Amino acid sequence: MTLLTILLMAVITFSTRYLFIHPRLPVRLGAKMAKLLSFSAPAVLTAIWVPIIFIQQGQLSISLHNPYLIAATLAIVAAAKSKSIYLTMFVGLITFVLSRYILSL
Amino acid sequence: MALTKKKARWLMARKGFLDMLPLNLAVLPWGILCGSLAVQRDFSALEAILMPLIVFAGSAQLVAIELIANNASLATILFTTFIISSRHFLYGLALRDKLKVLPTKWRYSLGFLLTDELFALSSHHKSFVGQLRLVYAVVAGGSFYVFWLVWNVAGVIAGSYLPDLTHLGLDFAIAVTFIALVIPTIINIPILVTVLVAALLSVVFKLMQFELDLVAAALIAMYSGYLTDRFLHKKNDVNNADNHKISPSVKDSK
Repeated sequence: MTLLTILLMAVITFSTRYLFIHPRLPVRLGAKMAKLLSFSAPAVLTAIWVPIIFIQQGQLSISLHNPYLIAATLAIVAAAKSKSIYLTMFVGLITFVLSRYILSL
Repeated sequence: MALTKKKARWLMARKGFLDMLPLNLAVLPWGILCGSLAVQRDFSALEAILMPLIVFAGSAQLVAIELIANNASLATILFTTFIISSRHFLYGLALRDKLKVLPTKWRYSLGFLLTDELFALSSHHKSFVGQLRLVYAVVAGGSFYVFWLVWNVAGVIAGSYLPDLTHLGLDFAIAVTFIALVIPTIINIPILVTVLVAALLSVVFKLMQFELDLVAAALIAMYSGYLTDRFLHKKNDVNNADNHKISPSVKDSK
């Protein structure tokens, strides 16, 4: 039963990824649609990471007791200044571990 | 010395691997979590490994494991998977004109590999154009697949020896990766508006426990960015028109 479920899940995830790149699908994108879609990467990726930072156990958490918020703030500064993915991850993770540790004291 | 074809391909493959490497490392905790959680929720090793092998979707895997463990109905599990995966429709649409023209084998492979991570590396206007960029994309996406599988298998093996990892804050690794990917792409006002609207609405919709939270927030944010772009262009056009009025000679000289 679980095997069947997993198989059907695989069909769904593949279909959602593949559907719109199938050439026979009767979809034509105009210039306006293409412009709209050019904003998809910042829109979707932001909608993935921001709730991780601000929502803890289903509750909005905007305070200095939220290690996610402290670390994300510094990571954003690092990303804006350096544009380096490694430096940003380094700054974010170090700050996250440190602030979690300090807050738990 | 001219670059031979083979050498150029090798360089692009290397670049694809290196560009994806930080993302491959960032999903280590997430992958181990998925693998170990499956084992802790009484999945067989085969079932636990089939998840990353054929479903290949972090958040869908994690949610489905909990649903299956709680004996949710098949319809619930599949519907939830569909909702979580529906953001990929946007990726397919955004890349449609570039990918639909590819030969079948490239199209199916890249379609399968089209994760958030590969999409994040695909924003260049020439991505997927020409064989070298295809090599780049397949190596980047393929390496992500291999790493994801390896981390999951590590989780399956460590499985029951690991404590419950769900409350260790492992999701921060994902968040910081996406911060590193998104923030440097904010190069103009419309993108800034897109990011701000997506940030605000994704939090609001999630707190409202709206099932389509992610996709709805993203769609409205995209439209806001689009409108901002049009508004700024119109303003520019009006300014230009004014300039023409002030100096008709510009018009004449054309």
